Amino acid sequence: MAIRRIRLVLVVISLVVLQTTVFTHLRVFGAIPDLCLVGTVAMAYEQGPVSGALFGFASGLAIDLFLSTPLGLSALAFALTGYAVGVFQSGLIREGRGIAPILGGVGALLGNGIFLLVGGLSGHDELFALHNLQVVIVAAIYDAAIAYAVFPFVRWAAGADTDRAWPSA
Amino acid sequence: MVVYRRETRGRTVLLAVVVVSIVLITVDSGGNGTIGSLRSTARNVIQPAQSVVNDAFQPLRNVAAGITSYSSVKNQNALLRRQVADLRGQLRTTRGSGSTVTQLEKLLDLPTVEDATGIAARVTGGTPGNFERTVQIDKGSDRGIKVGYPVVTGEGLVGTVTFVAAQTATVTLIDSPTIGVGVRLQTTNTLAITSAKSGSRDLTLQFLSDPNVKPQNGELVSTAASAQAAFPPEVPVGTVSGFSKGISDLQPTITVTPVVNLSDLDYVKVLRYPDPTAAPPGG
Repeated sequence: MAIRRIRLVLVVISLVVLQTTVFTHLRVFGAIPDLCLVGTVAMAYEQGPVSGALFGFASGLAIDLFLSTPLGLSALAFALTGYAVGVFQSGLIREGRGIAPILGGVGALLGNGIFLLVGGLSGHDELFALHNLQVVIVAAIYDAAIAYAVFPFVRWAAGADTDRAWPSA
Repeated sequence: MVVYRRETRGRTVLLAVVVVSIVLITVDSGGNGTIGSLRSTARNVIQPAQSVVNDAFQPLRNVAAGITSYSSVKNQNALLRRQVADLRGQLRTTRGSGSTVTQLEKLLDLPTVEDATGIAARVTGGTPGNFERTVQIDKGSDRGIKVGYPVVTGEGLVGTVTFVAAQTATVTLIDSPTIGVGVRLQTTNTLAITSAKSGSRDLTLQFLSDPNVKPQNGELVSTAASAQAAFPPEVPVGTVSGFSKGISDLQPTITVTPVVNLSDLDYVKVLRYPDPTAAPPGG
């Protein structure tokens, strides 16, 4: 149990370091991937809604420390996304090879949508801009692509069988 | 029964994280020093790891930038050469009015950019988020950088420091919707405040002191002189790139393109403004 927790903390730190260094230079059409959000979706897929919500809260809080938006905004958006994806995955009957990018993309749309909505309502009017919809869509595609790499990483940290990250069709 | 308990626990956990998040958002929105310290500590702790990863990936980034940007860099180079030639011409024509304003500013004893000493810093990366316009620099409070210091390059204004950790700082760029800069049109001396929109690299001018102004395309826009201004006067901000005024408009819409390419920053200078004598802590 303790080793699992240490691994999860290391995953969060790794994702935050990569997000704040390498990926800040890999902007495509104004968007970069949200590694912590994809990690949250992966956690929710592997471990269910409670783990998804807790991982989302922790990783969101960690990335919030490096943003100018209020602390807790990403934590809230990621936690809600983790919970929703966890509830949704429990109803999945079939698993295909494409489940990781699909969940990564859908989770990104949901997470970034919540971020913009709550952020805008909390006084950051600039988040209510049409351009941000374009950013959300591009980021979702980006997140779908990197989900292939993030899902096995999180699955390993959660202490589960890594084969599930690439289930056979 | 087990399923029921699990669902109840799930909802309780969700409710708890939602409540804690909302409390944090509310507290931080009100400006809380403890959260600022927490942010600063987190950045200081993770900074060594960031440096290692940044250095390790530098060659890869250079290759990627070379492949993806070669064509645009070539076009940009040609465009910049033309702009330099144009600006030299404009500089000659506007020098007269500029010098008059400078003399008046001296009479008012306002601090100028020459009064401010600077701290050179390297831009280490952009924002880790998708919805803000900031960059990170590799100097922080250890070198005397403070929140509110203006940031420039040799070409003009870049932004302002909005967060400082020991060895890093966050600079919010002038094309961020959260920043407005008091500016002056060089030829007509009309005063205005810049405003930016998400997704647009251009700025628009608002609150014009002369609503009937008709600036020429390419006219230089620089920071205005005023007491307790956030930026030193006479720092180039941009050039006028668009003008329109409808019949029912009270003020014209003036578009300004920043003189600095804010998407491709390498080295910047943080100005100790308005306290040029401020020295770094411990020396």
